[in-house]
Amino acid sequence: MTSRPNLNSPPRSAEWLVSLFANTEDEILGDLSEEFSLLASQSGNAFARKWYWRQTLKSLPHLVFSVFHESPWLTTVAVAAGFLLRRLVARLPEFATFALVDKFHIFEHHFSVYKFLASTAIDIEHALTFLLVGCVVGLLAKKREMAAAIALAMIFGAMAVLGSVSYVIRGGDYTSLWRLSWYFTDALAVVVGGVIVRTARLKAADRIPSIS
Amino acid sequence: MRGRDYLGEFEHIVILALLHLKNRAYGVTVRQEIERRTQREVSIGAVYATLDRLETKGYVKSQRSEPTPERGGRSKRFFRVTSKGQAALSRTHQTLRKMTAGLRLAWRES
Repeated sequence: MTSRPNLNSPPRSAEWLVSLFANTEDEILGDLSEEFSLLASQSGNAFARKWYWRQTLKSLPHLVFSVFHESPWLTTVAVAAGFLLRRLVARLPEFATFALVDKFHIFEHHFSVYKFLASTAIDIEHALTFLLVGCVVGLLAKKREMAAAIALAMIFGAMAVLGSVSYVIRGGDYTSLWRLSWYFTDALAVVVGGVIVRTARLKAADRIPSIS
Repeated sequence: MRGRDYLGEFEHIVILALLHLKNRAYGVTVRQEIERRTQREVSIGAVYATLDRLETKGYVKSQRSEPTPERGGRSKRFFRVTSKGQAALSRTHQTLRKMTAGLRLAWRES
């Protein structure tokens, strides 16, 4: 039997999003839940759910920026540590891949595998190192995982855009712009790392709303 | 001249809402009070970000209530304006009065 979402309760995914970003105990979720119940009884569930989502999306930027205001140093240190860690592990995917290629003579015997390993596999490994960096930043930033991870992702995203634009201007090779999609995947992986750590912390504190 | 201890626009609005609400001021009532008086939709995130900032400055204090079932077992956080917050409000009002003195503002109500 499949479980259906409870239409009388707030949208679970919106609650989960708020819990990821709120740096308070549970009062924001409690306030949203209270107003949701009131609106649902007055104007219907569909209206209340739309209201809840609007409130969630409008609240997120404020919740992220308030973290920077509250703990600028801790957040900055976590972001800087993530940046340095990324520089430290930046070449690891290439080293690991080519060590594998050499050990098993992949270039000579399995050229199609070599092509995959030397291109897409390295991109995937890079995304995984960014995920690791996001997790470390989340751990360092304590309860400010999401703000720190988003800040670092924005820095990497901006660097990728500037680097790509500069490369295109100098070389005139517009086809290289497709690489931006991988760079944005890396930035997204940092945010996912923050989400993983935040979700684990909320679960440990038994504060995570279930998504059903 | 002392440091920048005037209230920003939204800080000003939030403190006035707390004063209107007296001991009923928590997230829901503050948000609704601002919406009712300003006729603009306000997000709960903006309200809490401002209240947290005001609390850091010492302009408001908060206290949690017991969790209630209608809020999914979550508590309310009640806010009140401190004497330091009232002084900041008074200073901001005085400054605004001084700045508007002598101006013929088109929107001034009679």
